[in-house]
Amino acid sequence: MVSGVQLLDVLLNGLTIGMVYVLVAAGLSLVFGVMGVLNLAHGELLALGSYFAFSLVTGFDTGGFWVALIAVPLVVGAIGAVTECGLVNRVYGRGQLAQILLTFGLLLVIYDVKRFVWGTDPKFYSPPAVVDQAVTLVGYSYSGYSYFIIAAGGLIALAVWAVLTHTRVGLVIRAGSEDREMVRNLGVDIDRYYTLVFGAGAALAAFGGVVLGGYQNVSLGMGNAVIIPAFVIVVLGGLGSFRGAVVGGLLVGIVQSAVSTFAPTIQGVVIFLLMIGVLLLRPEGLFGGTGEGLDAGRAEPSEFVSGLGGGVLTGHGRSRLGLAVVAVLALVPVFSGILYSGFVVSLLVTVLIWALFAMSLDIVLGYTGLISLGHALFYGVGAYATLLSLLYVSPSAFVALGVALVVTATVAWVVGHLAIRVSGVYFVMITLAFAEIVRQVAVRLDVTGGSSGLFGAPEPLYGIGGVGIRFSEVLVGVEPFVFTGDALFYYFLLGVVVASYLGVRRMMAAPFGTVLQAIRESELRARFVGYEVRSVKRQAFVVSSTLAGLSGALFALYNGFVAPDLLNWINSGNAIIMVVLGGSGTLYGPMLGAAAFTLIERQLSAVIPWWRLLLGTVFVVVVLVLPKGLVSLPARVRDLRAGADGPPAPTDEPRDAEVGPDD
Amino acid sequence: MTDATDATGAEAEETVLRTTGLTKRFGAFTAVDRVDLAVDRGEFRSVIGPNGAGKTTLFNLISGAMTPTEGTITLSGADVTDRSPAERVGANLARSFQLTTVFNGLSVRENLRLAAQARDFGGMSAARRLFADPDGFEGINGRTDTVLDDLGLRPVADAQASDLSYGDRRRLEVGLVLATDPEVVLLDEPTAGMSGDETDATIALFEDVLAEQTVVLVEHNVDLVMRVSDRITTLNAGQVVATGTPEEIAADDRVRDAYLGGYTA
Repeated sequence: MVSGVQLLDVLLNGLTIGMVYVLVAAGLSLVFGVMGVLNLAHGELLALGSYFAFSLVTGFDTGGFWVALIAVPLVVGAIGAVTECGLVNRVYGRGQLAQILLTFGLLLVIYDVKRFVWGTDPKFYSPPAVVDQAVTLVGYSYSGYSYFIIAAGGLIALAVWAVLTHTRVGLVIRAGSEDREMVRNLGVDIDRYYTLVFGAGAALAAFGGVVLGGYQNVSLGMGNAVIIPAFVIVVLGGLGSFRGAVVGGLLVGIVQSAVSTFAPTIQGVVIFLLMIGVLLLRPEGLFGGTGEGLDAGRAEPSEFVSGLGGGVLTGHGRSRLGLAVVAVLALVPVFSGILYSGFVVSLLVTVLIWALFAMSLDIVLGYTGLISLGHALFYGVGAYATLLSLLYVSPSAFVALGVALVVTATVAWVVGHLAIRVSGVYFVMITLAFAEIVRQVAVRLDVTGGSSGLFGAPEPLYGIGGVGIRFSEVLVGVEPFVFTGDALFYYFLLGVVVASYLGVRRMMAAPFGTVLQAIRESELRARFVGYEVRSVKRQAFVVSSTLAGLSGALFALYNGFVAPDLLNWINSGNAIIMVVLGGSGTLYGPMLGAAAFTLIERQLSAVIPWWRLLLGTVFVVVVLVLPKGLVSLPARVRDLRAGADGPPAPTDEPRDAEVGPDD
Repeated sequence: MTDATDATGAEAEETVLRTTGLTKRFGAFTAVDRVDLAVDRGEFRSVIGPNGAGKTTLFNLISGAMTPTEGTITLSGADVTDRSPAERVGANLARSFQLTTVFNGLSVRENLRLAAQARDFGGMSAARRLFADPDGFEGINGRTDTVLDDLGLRPVADAQASDLSYGDRRRLEVGLVLATDPEVVLLDEPTAGMSGDETDATIALFEDVLAEQTVVLVEHNVDLVMRVSDRITTLNAGQVVATGTPEEIAADDRVRDAYLGGYTA
């Protein structure tokens, strides 16, 4: 039986967290509406607000909190404004991929700055006693601080609303989020307002961070914990709609609160199901205008694609180089333990697994032009399926790989069927939502081992029907050249990766691959020369996801464990980085990118504590200076020597013809 | 009024594209209003009309970019009203775009090869589709070569489409249509933004490569329309005002009214 008090608790808990969501989502939504930028680092701005507040409160006690409430949003707002004019303004009009890379890089940088300054332990601070005591109204007692958050957040939201509706600046911003081009054509210099909007969005998030830090705790993960629901809210409410952010924020807060009380088993999944439902039934969101859907779905400039012109060497020279690389890789285990430690082999195993993962993403990202922020879903599903097969079906590695491929392909077909129906930034969001759903399910189900994952699988048998070998049981070679189990797996992996690369390369040159590139260049035209674009995109999605599943399966075979963190969207973001870092649309570029990424991550993290900061900076630099990735470096250096300055200017020409209502 | 009643030919020719009562409404606004169109095989038909007459919407309906509110579209007798754009290409219809829409990052040859390949793609076995070498498709490559030569694009065959001159890009735009080997070609303002010389070259091109084709042309340039058309359909406010030969249209008072809004000198 649900009591009235319980209902009030649920409602007020929901409104409290919902109000924080409103503050975060409003900035995210306005920034997207006005500048068309999806700011992945927006949650980190909130976290930054919390950390600043923590320092002020610990330094100056109660007074510190009140100072923080005013000063922190101003400081973070200023940081936001500086970031906008220094970095973010360089990616306007360069498509979603540029923005995603840049803001993902910023996310890593801010994350590491926090870690560097405040350490990894969670921090706590209390709000001033005057607001931090239970308030009893008509016999009902509830946290006064919650009332404070609801009231303060409500006041701020009201103030933003008043500015948006009653001032000239607000008018321009609202008009700009409806139709940026139109406002520009009317002679209003909307670009002038970008810094203001970005700064204001950052300030709103920081205010949310100050109040949230006193409500929960302050931790490194809090930005991530807030940005995902914020994405859901802006999609629910309609990208660019302030009203949508307010209603969506409160709605998501209350729904989360209700679900955690009444139906904890589906906690975490519900809001994503809500978002997917809205995307499929009403893609413009509950309050979205009519123009945004078109804008958000517009084709990407392919400045990042290095398939043509950006690559290294000639085709012939490239295959010789490739052969040489494979030959060197094949020799590595021979001298392992003699010239260098066995660690090198295990490091290269990781590199090869990520290389396969990044290459699989290149099929949709580089060749088809689809930005998926849910690719880790298939990596994770492949890994889980492998371990479950080893545990419950058969110890055979081949059976496990088969199971993993079938399961991932099936999941990919279902997800692809739904996700391919939306495009542009909505595709980014819906893939993210599916990945989060699967992660939440993996955390909650017993069969997947809950939050600790699965381990204790028998050592895989490389054979079938009980006939085969276990790598740890065989001894190959003559002293001192003895191949360990690690080395044998390494050869197996190398074979799979090389075979996959050759197969996919063939596929990308075959009719199928050429159609994918046509879709990337102009989906509209591909449709009107006679391709069933949606169906081809779905096939690409399934092929790509299945290969991602294969890489996850190989991870599971090697490591013998899986954890929900494999499904984390950060892995999807990392894979995008690898693809672009190396050079998208080339297959070998992303593999190179994966190698560079893994080596930076593994090796630097041992030497430099703030390696994420470095990694994030590298991404930002790549986006700004080397959009075609590492593989374009030789050509770029040549160009620079020849005197050509600056990266090639993106084409200004409209890439898709109007299919407007009339002449 | 239907085209059949004012057909000028002595004997009834085969109608290859026909719309019947074609209507498209956007809310309360009717962009295309009960349009009956019958285009004969081999005919060069132009659709003219003032801005907002519904020409582009009519085009979008015929090519499958939009679904009509009412009415039907048939191609060689087959009803394609509910078919996807790709299925209409399969039924021998292809369209161009007013704003050049080519595959910018790919070479001219690859652009045309993709268009030539489209109709065969759906029927390929999965193995061929996924793994076959494109050089092995003789029919497709032969068709690509023909279009390269017909449109004079051979010298720039290996150039990236985004690097072409404006005139070459417009020709590639038409080439993408022809490479699908259509029976009916829909051309959406092919001379938009062209200089006088380029327009003349385009007219020559039409007379050369489109001689055998059934063409429906939407065009603002009335001089060009008068020179190349067999028959002209005039639209106003979504409705057909008149259909006839260039001479008939030039002499038609209703057409003048539609353009000049009833103003008489």
